[in-house]
Amino acid sequence: MDTKTLIIGLGNTLLQDDGAGIYVAREVKKQIQDCHNVDIVEASLGGIGLLDLMQGYDIVFIVDAIKTANSVPGRTLRCNVEDLGKPTYASGPHFLDVRTAVELGTRCGYKMPRHIEIFAVEIIDNTDFSESLTQEVEKAIPLLAAEIIAEIQKGS
Amino acid sequence: MKKISIDPVTRLEGHGRIDIFLNDAGDVANAYMVIPELRGFEKFAQGRRVEELTDITPRICGVCPEAHHMASTKACDNVFHVDPPPTAKKLREMFYSAFYVADHTVHFYILGGPDFVMGPDAPVAERNILGVIHKVGVEVGTKVIESRGKAMDIIGMLGGRKIHPTFGLPGGVSKKLSEEERRQVEATAREEIEFALFTLQLFKDVVLANKTYLDMILSAPFTMPTYYMGMVDENNKVNFYDGKIRVVDPEGKEFVKYNPADYLDVIAEKVEPWTYLKFPYLKKVGWKGIVGGKDSGLYQATPLSRLNASDGMATPRAQEAYEEMYKTLGGKPVHNLLATHWARLVELLYAAERLLELSTDPEITNPHVRNIPTEKPTEGVGVVEAPRGTLTHHYTTDERGIVTKANLIVGTTNNYGPISLAVKQVAQAVIQKGQDITEGMLNRVEMAFRLYDPCFGCATHTLPGKMPLEIRFHDEAGNLKNTLSRNL
Repeated sequence: MDTKTLIIGLGNTLLQDDGAGIYVAREVKKQIQDCHNVDIVEASLGGIGLLDLMQGYDIVFIVDAIKTANSVPGRTLRCNVEDLGKPTYASGPHFLDVRTAVELGTRCGYKMPRHIEIFAVEIIDNTDFSESLTQEVEKAIPLLAAEIIAEIQKGS
Repeated sequence: MKKISIDPVTRLEGHGRIDIFLNDAGDVANAYMVIPELRGFEKFAQGRRVEELTDITPRICGVCPEAHHMASTKACDNVFHVDPPPTAKKLREMFYSAFYVADHTVHFYILGGPDFVMGPDAPVAERNILGVIHKVGVEVGTKVIESRGKAMDIIGMLGGRKIHPTFGLPGGVSKKLSEEERRQVEATAREEIEFALFTLQLFKDVVLANKTYLDMILSAPFTMPTYYMGMVDENNKVNFYDGKIRVVDPEGKEFVKYNPADYLDVIAEKVEPWTYLKFPYLKKVGWKGIVGGKDSGLYQATPLSRLNASDGMATPRAQEAYEEMYKTLGGKPVHNLLATHWARLVELLYAAERLLELSTDPEITNPHVRNIPTEKPTEGVGVVEAPRGTLTHHYTTDERGIVTKANLIVGTTNNYGPISLAVKQVAQAVIQKGQDITEGMLNRVEMAFRLYDPCFGCATHTLPGKMPLEIRFHDEAGNLKNTLSRNL
């Protein structure tokens, strides 16, 4: 059976570098327009909303901006969803992170993707209003897109 | 004066925290919730075409974008002075009812449920949705996700996609409902009614049948009389989509009932120097500080407020649930903050019943779903009940429809003062001199904040999102003496 892959570009394109994940997804879509069994969506969602998207896929790549303790803007990172640590027990729907959402789906007996990987680009700030990216992050978009495409081609 | 800080920092935009000030005797003197809510959307909207705002403003929140979409759509109707055809209004309300079913279901099981089903003193590792599933059964967890999923399918069906649907337009909606789709909505609605009834029964069996929980609901720290706000129809029954805004006083008497366009005659906002978020209050009562009661202009806008401000529910089974709630809690209005969770379930049942009513309405598949605007755009206000409170969008444009000014009062904004007051009340009750601070005390303070399900988020995700909580205790000299924290 063919492997079904979903690429989710996450972010808010009104908040400058917060939209990085969506721009990467658009770049991937431009380059793999007729790729069989690969779907690409843009989402500005949190937590449980991601479960809706993941249903029915074997592999999911989540593409997102990330802020770390020592952020180097434009640096790209990859990790599996399990690498995000333990589920963090949300105190409300606004605080349900992807790790906990995946755990929730699994515990409820949902057929979750066998592999969920995060592709991220580091940013400094996601609170400025702008519909364009900062220079360092913009340079990272095609690089991260290329990593994702390479991963897809490896699997096909 | 000692200061205790609770820092629910990470998931909020910028830094939000709760500061608790102890006096020298060690009792809580005051508590403040400091929030830097991002008001940037009001500025960002300027210079945009007004009809774009139905697509832009949903990005204020990744959990309840439908509420902003609907308020914005209604504001655009009024900017263009166009009245949508009846079928369009019914389809909008159908869409909105589906949203309420999804949102309220998830909210109860992920937020309210853990505190009651597991208990406020349960270990953190168990006091969450995963603990609830373990206690009530995996099949319940599955039903929660399925129930939400089916409701979101309706959103996607009507709006073209579940994520930021393109549904509302000035003068109507973007698509009609086919008979096949109508049958799907009807079938889902019937299932959602059953699940809402199940959830209400679960609440009764697990919460109300437990004297400890019932006592907590009725306890003084969690009792806070204020004014109450909610949208009502022409019969003063709760309506999430359209109507007038009704406010009742702490004794339950109608204080004012206003048209959405007149909100500035009723509500003003107080600026305090120590927080970026302004405090809405009732103009005619006046700003008296962060205090409750009839002489203070603070009001609440929550599921409980909506029920308090109404004369009932417009659907039969929700009305029964409404009557049972008020009978159990001693009549109207109810000032017990934790009853908000119960009120939310009454609303869940109403939303499901309303979904069924609309899906079986003879007009619902009528193809006439939009009246094209013909008037010059000027100014308009759109109000809906967001799950977390009355949501107001107010736009002013030039003659081309370019936004010159936008004002948004988000659901949670209404509750900013009451949240601070509730936290202070509970903190005063649980943090007393000479006592060690326990996890249970910390959680009770957090419960006072959490029952409002505050929506301060403007971004839509984080890796990982969490609710870190820290209480810092300082001695009289201001030195950090002790810290109680979690999720940091």
